[in-house]
Amino acid sequence: MMSSKTLSLPNDKVKVLLVENNKHKANDFMNALDDSNYHIVQVSNSGVSLLKEVDVFIPDVIIIDIESPDRDMLDSLNKISKSAPKPVVMFSDQENTELINLLVKSGVTAYVAGGVDPRRVRSILDTAIARFTQYQGLKQELATTKQKLSNQRVVEQAKLWLIQNKNLSEQDAYHSMRKMAMDNGQRIEDVAKNILSLATMFEGTS
Amino acid sequence: MNINSLIEKTELSIGFMSLTDSAPLIVAKEMGFFEKWGLSINLQKQHSWATLRDKVHAGILDAAQMLSPMPIASNYGLDCVKTKVVAPLVLSRNGNAITLSKQLYQVIKNQHIQEPYTSDVPLSASYLKEEVATRKILGNKIKLGVVFSYSCHYYQLVSWLQAGGINPEDVDIIIIPPANMVAAMADGEIDGYCVGGPWNTMAVREKVGFTGITSLDIWPGTPEKVLGLLQEFQEKNPKTVQALIMALQEACDWLEIIPNRFEAARLLTSHQYLNTSLDNIAPSLLGSCLTFYNESPRYIPSYNQFSLFNDRVGNCPDTIDGTMLVKYMKLAGHINDENQPSLSVRDIYCSEIYHQTLENFSQ
Repeated sequence: MMSSKTLSLPNDKVKVLLVENNKHKANDFMNALDDSNYHIVQVSNSGVSLLKEVDVFIPDVIIIDIESPDRDMLDSLNKISKSAPKPVVMFSDQENTELINLLVKSGVTAYVAGGVDPRRVRSILDTAIARFTQYQGLKQELATTKQKLSNQRVVEQAKLWLIQNKNLSEQDAYHSMRKMAMDNGQRIEDVAKNILSLATMFEGTS
Repeated sequence: MNINSLIEKTELSIGFMSLTDSAPLIVAKEMGFFEKWGLSINLQKQHSWATLRDKVHAGILDAAQMLSPMPIASNYGLDCVKTKVVAPLVLSRNGNAITLSKQLYQVIKNQHIQEPYTSDVPLSASYLKEEVATRKILGNKIKLGVVFSYSCHYYQLVSWLQAGGINPEDVDIIIIPPANMVAAMADGEIDGYCVGGPWNTMAVREKVGFTGITSLDIWPGTPEKVLGLLQEFQEKNPKTVQALIMALQEACDWLEIIPNRFEAARLLTSHQYLNTSLDNIAPSLLGSCLTFYNESPRYIPSYNQFSLFNDRVGNCPDTIDGTMLVKYMKLAGHINDENQPSLSVRDIYCSEIYHQTLENFSQ
């Protein structure tokens, strides 16, 4: 089966959704990205259909004017869109270095300031995508670490309960949990969760 | 006291959005209150709340009309770099409403046709229960628009749904800038929204929506818009901030006089401000909530409230109000105690600056 990616993009180009009402500015971007690895799949006008277009065209990156009202809609993109989060590149006509630095620091977007210089636009898009990929990786890593920590905490709590209520040594408590996990084909943190939920049930009735 | 000689910075850029409750800023500018307090203000219309916030954070705007939960969100660093923003003045209370598309209104009316007649307004979300369930099964959840994640609109919509026995997870809540709401509903992209004026009135005028309930029916008297600025700006320019508070307080008091409201509505129609007709702007300012085409409007005297005349409590940023907003932000899962060390609401909803200002300049 052909994926939508191979269907619409013969050369495996990076798909760009451009949100821009002004035709001249849109043209500047088209020219800047002509002959590049980037391909503008859709030029969107302001409006709600933006979310639909993201789902239909599945762009790899979105370019939007900082003054566009649609900026706020992109916030709900990750919550509602069926596709994965997207890097968003914003551009501004003014040379607001301070604003740009601040926003880039927030880690999710890159900013283009001033006019649309073909060489700069491409490199900014490259940087934005690289930065976004890195950021998503870090986010994932953080989530995994947090999950691990919380799993460890659950296991520790269950162990403590066994030590206090079943008169087991620390080592025996751990071994009995590990045995239960192996016997039932469960993960040790699931066994720990079961123990703790049973424990609260007993405490509730006693 | 001649404040003019004390002001550290007289020329300021202030951001606002095209909303009826931007009236205090526009009135202060047009009626000369800023000038009277020695300020030269450049009002800059913004099109997106996120961009408005970023410009205040970066110092491109010196201050702005902000959604009341926004300064709290900035201090917590929600969707932005953690930034100390203070709210030394409440600009308005109430002013939002929930409007459903004409189509959805018709559907729920038909579903409840057998029931003994009860007034349609204020509408309970329980009327939507059946349709929410059906649309969920069809894989086409009801879509409701709000203007920003960290807004009273979001929390009020969620409260209203929950009060009617609807799990907010069973609908899609999406962010749409206020000025795009009516078009989005007319195009069938959303089934309803919670927004401020003039965008509810406009939906009724254009015969595309039914305004079922106002924010006053959900949470009466909640601060809706506040003056927001960087704490750093306030510390560097304390007299400027005091002058700003006095000018805006004067505008809020002026707006409490009903004959002035119509004049304010006329000022707001202008191209550089709301750029829409008096028909859409005047009603809510005069306490009229349009409900549906050819129906009588509801009379809601405090639909837009800018001050409590002769009672300065109305514009004081109160810790109780701030704490309540934090509570709703926590309920919505926007603030999480585990990840976020608690902040002092008193430092954000800063009644001290407000009281000090009035002490200095009122007789």
